[in-house]
Amino acid sequence: MDEDVLTTLKILIIGESGVGKSSLLLRFTDDTFDPELAATIGVDFKVKTISVDGNKAKLAIWDTAGQERFRTLTPSYYRGAQGVILVYDVTRRDTFVKLDNWLNELETYCTRNDIVNMLVGNKIDKENREVDRNEGLKFARKHSMLFIEASAKTCDGVQCAFEELVEKIIQTPGLWESENQNKGVKLSHREEGHGGGACGGYCSVL
Amino acid sequence: MGKGTFTSGTWEEKSDEISFADFKFSVTHHYLVQESTDKEGKDELLEDAIPQSMQDLLCMNNDFPPRAHCLVRWYGLREFVVIAPAAHSDAVLSESKCNLLLSSVSIALGNTGCQVPLFVQIHHKWRRMYVGECQGPGVRTDFEMVHLRKVPNQYTHLSGLLDIFKSKIGCPLTPLPPVSIAIRFTYVLQDWQQYFWPQQPPDIDALVGGEVGGLEFGKLPFGACEDPISELHLATTWPHLTEGIIVDNDVYSDLDPIQAPHWSVRVRKADNPQCLLGDFVTEFFKICRRKESTDEILGRSTFEEEGREIADITHALSKLTEPAPVPIHKLSVSNMVHSAKKKIRKHRGIEESPLNSDVLNTILLFLFPDAASEKPLDGTTSTDSNNPPSEIEDYTLYNQFKSAPSDSLTYKLALCLCMINFYHGGLKGVAHLWQEFVLEMRFRWENNFLIPGLASGPPDLRCCLLHQKLQMLNCCVERKKARDEGKKTSTSDNVINTYPGDAGKAGNHLGPDNLKDTDKEKGEVGKSWDSWSDSEEEFFECLSDTEELKGNGQESGKKGGPKEMANLKPEGRLLQHGKLTLLHNGEPLYIPVTQEPAPMTEDLLEEQSEVLAKLGTSAEGAHLRARMQSACLLSDMESFKAANPGCFLEDFVRWYSPRDYIEEEVIDEKGNVVLRGELSARMKIPSNMWVEAWETAKPIPARRQRRLFDDTREAEKVLHYLAIQKPADLARHLLPCVIHAAVLKIKEEESLENISSVKKIIKQIISHSSKVLHFPNPEDKKLEEIIHQIINVEATIARARSLKAKFGTEKCEQEEEKEDLERFVSCLLEQPEVLVTGAGRGHAGRIIHKLFVNAQRLTESSDEAAAMAPPEEEVKRMGSPEERRQNSLSDFPPPAGRELILRTSVPRPAPYSKALPQRMYSVLTKEDFRLAGAFSSDTSFF
Repeated sequence: MDEDVLTTLKILIIGESGVGKSSLLLRFTDDTFDPELAATIGVDFKVKTISVDGNKAKLAIWDTAGQERFRTLTPSYYRGAQGVILVYDVTRRDTFVKLDNWLNELETYCTRNDIVNMLVGNKIDKENREVDRNEGLKFARKHSMLFIEASAKTCDGVQCAFEELVEKIIQTPGLWESENQNKGVKLSHREEGHGGGACGGYCSVL
Repeated sequence: MGKGTFTSGTWEEKSDEISFADFKFSVTHHYLVQESTDKEGKDELLEDAIPQSMQDLLCMNNDFPPRAHCLVRWYGLREFVVIAPAAHSDAVLSESKCNLLLSSVSIALGNTGCQVPLFVQIHHKWRRMYVGECQGPGVRTDFEMVHLRKVPNQYTHLSGLLDIFKSKIGCPLTPLPPVSIAIRFTYVLQDWQQYFWPQQPPDIDALVGGEVGGLEFGKLPFGACEDPISELHLATTWPHLTEGIIVDNDVYSDLDPIQAPHWSVRVRKADNPQCLLGDFVTEFFKICRRKESTDEILGRSTFEEEGREIADITHALSKLTEPAPVPIHKLSVSNMVHSAKKKIRKHRGIEESPLNSDVLNTILLFLFPDAASEKPLDGTTSTDSNNPPSEIEDYTLYNQFKSAPSDSLTYKLALCLCMINFYHGGLKGVAHLWQEFVLEMRFRWENNFLIPGLASGPPDLRCCLLHQKLQMLNCCVERKKARDEGKKTSTSDNVINTYPGDAGKAGNHLGPDNLKDTDKEKGEVGKSWDSWSDSEEEFFECLSDTEELKGNGQESGKKGGPKEMANLKPEGRLLQHGKLTLLHNGEPLYIPVTQEPAPMTEDLLEEQSEVLAKLGTSAEGAHLRARMQSACLLSDMESFKAANPGCFLEDFVRWYSPRDYIEEEVIDEKGNVVLRGELSARMKIPSNMWVEAWETAKPIPARRQRRLFDDTREAEKVLHYLAIQKPADLARHLLPCVIHAAVLKIKEEESLENISSVKKIIKQIISHSSKVLHFPNPEDKKLEEIIHQIINVEATIARARSLKAKFGTEKCEQEEEKEDLERFVSCLLEQPEVLVTGAGRGHAGRIIHKLFVNAQRLTESSDEAAAMAPPEEEVKRMGSPEERRQNSLSDFPPPAGRELILRTSVPRPAPYSKALPQRMYSVLTKEDFRLAGAFSSDTSFF
């Protein structure tokens, strides 16, 4: 299976505690939903291979704990990530308001600047929505992120979120190619001939 | 065809190989890319017009193109086909073979109706001899060529060449239609002696002798050591003369270059000028490929022994000076120098150490300025105290290059090593300085001195690994220092303040730093460093571990009921958490002092995430992973319990994960609205890890907990890592810093000159480098490419400086003229050939004239000196009429190249034939004379 995998991508899921990060991941990798999923401690890790536009990509997805105190631990995992999924809970405005903090965190700890970010508004199955879809969309636009609303419970938008993210990463040149796949990129520098001599091609008179 | 199109347009070529008479030929079609519409339209309009190529013979818009294929230069063609022997050494030499080829070409052209001229290359390739033919409806042009080593005297001037041209045309008409003439003389200026190249190579001897003054450490040198501009070519052109207007024969010439209506200049660049910055970086890069270890370079196993010796010394010192820290300011550097000198003497007899002590001292003081300062060594990092560099963009470059901030110790170290490698003992010097550096690091660790020039806080993962390691070491120093200071203050009230031993191992090893095989590490560390291992406590502070353990056992047995706990004295409170109160007794809820998380370098992190990832994605794996990471949670819970005696998990959750405490408004029996809270569903899952951890957590304040971050072990790991780095490893670690510094240097130098093309290239280098350097092990080839680009930029800037000095742009007083001159100089760098506005009478023209006059004076004076005993050849040269004629115009040397184009349109072969283009080009250089004729004739009646 690994043979035709184009690349392995590191994806990170972040956001306030209790917004459903682990549930989204579980829905994506195992297609199940567990209403009683224990709060994550530190970071958790899952793998899934998906196919986007005929390209197979292996995703190593790191799911992080949202608690403030764990936050001192997780920045180290931002390193080398190609994609970040930033999750908020549409039924809790405070998780949306805190997004700015997370963006700050991203900016501080990401080792590269062309990383692809996706904003996911989770729990749209619930009735007591506090954050409008347009608000999320506006925020995402402002910070040039991808945006989708999803529900880990009903499966809405989950697959789509990951696929879009991977698609965008693959479209970003230089973000995912490993060193040896990178052969084509070369800067040309103009070789300047020095006129004269026994050149057979283009030259000046002397 | 527009003016200059041959230069500005794109030329393309297509080739193929053919076999003809057992001989391989390559056929190449050269053409100027044109808008097809324009070309086809013309063809249709004038069906029986003569072929384009014949018309081009007379076109004067593209005479003397600065860079072009020789056939373009000679015949003014925009499209042609060349048949040449495919193998480079092959040649068509015999006349019969030439004729066979030519007649075949002729038949082929006739059969296909091709109007593109077709050339055959004959003789050896270097002679560039071509014969060819072009056919059109009823017309034909023959391209012929003469190539000689020596010029027959009569052909050195216009009148002689006109005679040949006329006789070749053999025009039956009298008087002959006027011949149009274009002439270009090229003069070469090689002698710049009057303008000394401004840059002297640094005086290496002075530096080796101990005088460091010439070149400051921490600065990179820049510029070419030799003149990067070797020649200036002045082309004086008379683009449109008519026969009879001027005289140019073997005794007199009207062709005074100063009077020429067009001047253009090109410069010839020195092939590989020696440039300092490039040399520096290249030499540094070479270290990356050395295999030797530090020990091999400096002598066997000096390091370990020395290390032990030092350890003993410091041990003794610390015994003496405890509890006050060592109060000697200059101790570190001088101590190190001293010990290193001793060691080297010991191991290498009377041989000199690679770095003499003056140089070494200067460098160490530069790297560790705090060692010289009067105030006690303390935690001021230079990042905090230095003025931030003016340009944020430049400062954050380390981010892209994965190097280190330009005011950091790592960056400075890279620059010093670079300089040492170049001037002070090469590889040996590098190994020596590195050894000193590592010793200094150990000294600082052991004596609680913070390392200067590093931003405080956990390792910055955007920097190179070496920088992270140093930051890590600093974190360790900081923690150790805090602990030692804490110990000192607590000695008064706590007699037993040290806990010797390994009881901590009884606890669970789930901290992030315990992922590795700790026992093995311990063993190694213990073996080599047991002399000072008294500092290796596992606990911040411990009353009596056994007692504690016993107590815990009882507590956990009783499930630690909060009621008994409530009787404990609260400990380790940081501050009150807002207005929150404990649920069961209404006491204020306190946030405890907690252990800080373990700082991590990227390699540790990589290791850790690998371990975590290896646990797999199964439920058990996930569980184990959570357990491994729960050390921090447990520690926080213990601190919390200690600070809030009698608390519940609900209290903890309200501080730690407030969203997991759900409050609802409910109406109680009396009908009042009250808030009722409970743990979230996920926290209530039986035996979930939070509950589990809560139950095992004992009320212990952070300062008495087992350390989550074992600074002793981590510091030793770092020091060991540093010690085993070979010079090659070191160079690889620091190369990003060196490239970073080099880029900043060229940026700085460019800003003085303001060369737009260079600006663009620098941008390219930056983006290229950031791509290459972000990968863990960049290929050598790519690194070389970057260095090569840097060298090119340096050479370009050096050329710009050289030209500016030669043309005296700085001395120019009039603002407008200065601007013109600067523009002119920058054009010289970027374009193959630059027109001199106003020719010999313009401002630039006058300067060029003066340059030639000065050079001429120099040659004349040396000629006079040589005239005492003129060599045979000299006499011959002086005696030629050519030379005598030239003397009258002695402002300029004899032209290095004379090009003439003669053109006319006459009927051939008979007076009643069509008038067709005739052209002859001649070029005369010192050892080469060539006539290239294109003679057309009307084939209708012949």
